[in-house]
Amino acid sequence: MVNRSLLDLVMLIEIALLVLAAVVFFAHGVWLFVSQKKFLRDMASARDSLTQLLTRGTINIEEIDALRRIPRDAQVAAFLEASRNLTGTGKERLRFVAREVMLLDRAQKLCLSRFWTRRLRGARLLARMDVADPLIEKLLGDTNPAVRAQAAEWAATHPAPSIISIMLGMLADPATQARFAVQDALLRMGSTITDPLAIFLESHSGLPAESGLRVATSLAEPKFLAAGLRHSASDEVGVRTAAANMLGAMGGAESAARLIELLKDPESLVRAAAAHGLGRMRHWQAAAQLAECLRDPTWRVRRDAGLALRALGAPGALFLRRALKGNDPFAADMSQQVLDLPAAATG
Amino acid sequence: MGAALPFAAQLLARGQFLVLIYFLGVNSWYLVLLVSSLLEMRRHMQLIADESRHLLLSSTLSPTISILAPAFNEEATIETSLRALLALQYPQLEVIVISDGSKDETVKVLVERFDLVPVKTIYEKRINTKPVRMLYRSATYPALVVVDKENGGKADALNVGLSFARGELVCAMDADTLIEGDGLQRMVRPFLYATDVVATGGTIRVVNGSEVQFGRVIRARVTTHALAGIQVVEYLRAFLFGRLGWNRLGGNIIISGAFGLFRRDSVVSAGGYLHDTVGEDMELVLRLKRLSYEQGGPGTIAFVPDPVAWTEVPESMKVLGRQRDRWHRGLADVLWRHRRMLLNPRYGVTGLFVFPYYVFVELLAPLIEAAGLITLAFGLIFGMVDWRFAALFWLTAYGLGTALTAFTLILEDISFHRYNTFRDRGLLFWWALMENLGYRQMTVYWRLRGLWKFLRGNKDWGVMERKGFQKPVGIVETN
Repeated sequence: MVNRSLLDLVMLIEIALLVLAAVVFFAHGVWLFVSQKKFLRDMASARDSLTQLLTRGTINIEEIDALRRIPRDAQVAAFLEASRNLTGTGKERLRFVAREVMLLDRAQKLCLSRFWTRRLRGARLLARMDVADPLIEKLLGDTNPAVRAQAAEWAATHPAPSIISIMLGMLADPATQARFAVQDALLRMGSTITDPLAIFLESHSGLPAESGLRVATSLAEPKFLAAGLRHSASDEVGVRTAAANMLGAMGGAESAARLIELLKDPESLVRAAAAHGLGRMRHWQAAAQLAECLRDPTWRVRRDAGLALRALGAPGALFLRRALKGNDPFAADMSQQVLDLPAAATG
Repeated sequence: MGAALPFAAQLLARGQFLVLIYFLGVNSWYLVLLVSSLLEMRRHMQLIADESRHLLLSSTLSPTISILAPAFNEEATIETSLRALLALQYPQLEVIVISDGSKDETVKVLVERFDLVPVKTIYEKRINTKPVRMLYRSATYPALVVVDKENGGKADALNVGLSFARGELVCAMDADTLIEGDGLQRMVRPFLYATDVVATGGTIRVVNGSEVQFGRVIRARVTTHALAGIQVVEYLRAFLFGRLGWNRLGGNIIISGAFGLFRRDSVVSAGGYLHDTVGEDMELVLRLKRLSYEQGGPGTIAFVPDPVAWTEVPESMKVLGRQRDRWHRGLADVLWRHRRMLLNPRYGVTGLFVFPYYVFVELLAPLIEAAGLITLAFGLIFGMVDWRFAALFWLTAYGLGTALTAFTLILEDISFHRYNTFRDRGLLFWWALMENLGYRQMTVYWRLRGLWKFLRGNKDWGVMERKGFQKPVGIVETN
């Protein structure tokens, strides 16, 4: 029924596969064992050389040569390790040494590669070494989102006007990863971006505006007020919500007035954000309007309104107690829950 | 044989050939999965090479995560597990332990060791659950919330956790799962990479035999306990080549209940976990996937190979049998509930490839395998099948599988090489060889039992006996 030769062939193939797997598996184990030992030795030498070079007042050519002779992977690991713990002149010195041992040249070559994985490695190396290089700036427009995100991470420490402008343009990046990195990098740039971001928010709408408003919320600078007010009337729910959040973070009479209007927004997300914002800025004059929101059909709005009232202190508590005796069972329930909260729970 | 064979023998021989072809098909598909997982692993390793996650760790924009840890009678392990959870390296983390009506001292241990005080809070009960008895917060750990509720099962406990969770993402896990310190940072990556990700799963490894201190695996070892050792290999294969391979070929529909990260809004909108199934984790994932096709919204289920969680596996046949029986009942139940997806082009790759794979390979494999083994034995005894055919059958059904498993070990070794002593390598290879000599046949029996119980409507969970992680687990020598 079954040809003997077929059986032999199948058996032979399987034995060969198993033997091959065993050989590869154990040989890889041996290779790992040897290479890791060697890597650790190389790393130790690289660390020693780097320490010598970074702590001495002068650069020793012999030490640089010694560092050059160390295999590339250990070299890279040692430099990256050192870069984490250095800033200022220490990092400058590290960059100088990296340039001397051709590490930065290699990173630059990687940045020019046609393979995104190599460009990513190059960008990572340059970013971690804090190198101000136009090559990495170019990678902000790379086709791969991981590379763009890495370049954005680098940009956080290089807030030049041209870079800020590119970064603002990337707020609408279709890839979440790159958008997240851009927002985070802009935040890290701090007050440097206030003016360009305010101008950007004035002239953009949609997703870029929403992303920009998120950044602006964390910065909460008065210069964003005009843009915040404008975007709070946007047709898009996400933008209006982000604007409400920003106005709440920023505070001020104009913001409060607009937030009170937004308590009547058709979208519950916006109403909730407005209530939260009013509570955040302790705007007691809005207590009556917030108390109205305790009757909102959406649970989230009721909760945020209740918590906002609680945050207002005595005027808010008065409205909450009144709602307890009111004819709306949902408002009464939420008021009861908010009043039952311990002081710490409301922040 | 040939024309002289009676009809029964002919039928048997043809049936055998069909089973043989089935195994050949399944193993060929495994080969495709293995190649796919190799490519996926290569891409993943390139993506994470020299990666620095400090940005994620220190950013106020990082997504907030709520860990949901249901606990039922976990007094032996809860303190260690919880301390490890609270020490996870993630910036915006909330840990919610849900005691699901524990009858032992779980809540008392938590109250005493974590300085818990009863509190009130506002939460929206968007999913119907058993009543909450008491809510606690810790005076020492601001990120910790403990919910004591009436017993309602794991799904009910997770649903309660969903009501209290404030994170954008929720991490569902078992209370005794040990997550590696940076596991969440790694697991959250797909959510940052793409907007359509609804859930991610990480690799689960077997903790038995490894050295554990303060809820962290400090040295991964392969156990010498036969049953647990074979499960080490089984888990590696399931995660590293099964789920990773599917990442590239159309997506996963399983995320382990021991460690999975979900978009909270999507889970709540989908109605949370179902109570009346023993496969609630797979059911939720499949429902999320299905809803993404039907209503739009995020639907990608991503598997990330490097975030590792460790779990204790059964070391007794009885408990293992119960577990496998339950898993298979769960699989059958979930596939039956979502049977509309089978070969339905509306559900894209999931309906046309992934779902049929789970039906014809995962669900029905024990039936076909059992039929093949029984008829083979019958045929050999009565001389209706010659030994060469039997040998070919065995080689195709099990030999190829062993070779593929051996290649999975290589995949692990070239990527993460967590088992890095020659003793461990030897043991891994040994357990890979041993898997098909009895163990696999036992799992066939357990899975058949699970199918039978499913057909009879049994939804019992069974009991998992745990040793706790204070000492290295699984030091019993059996071989």
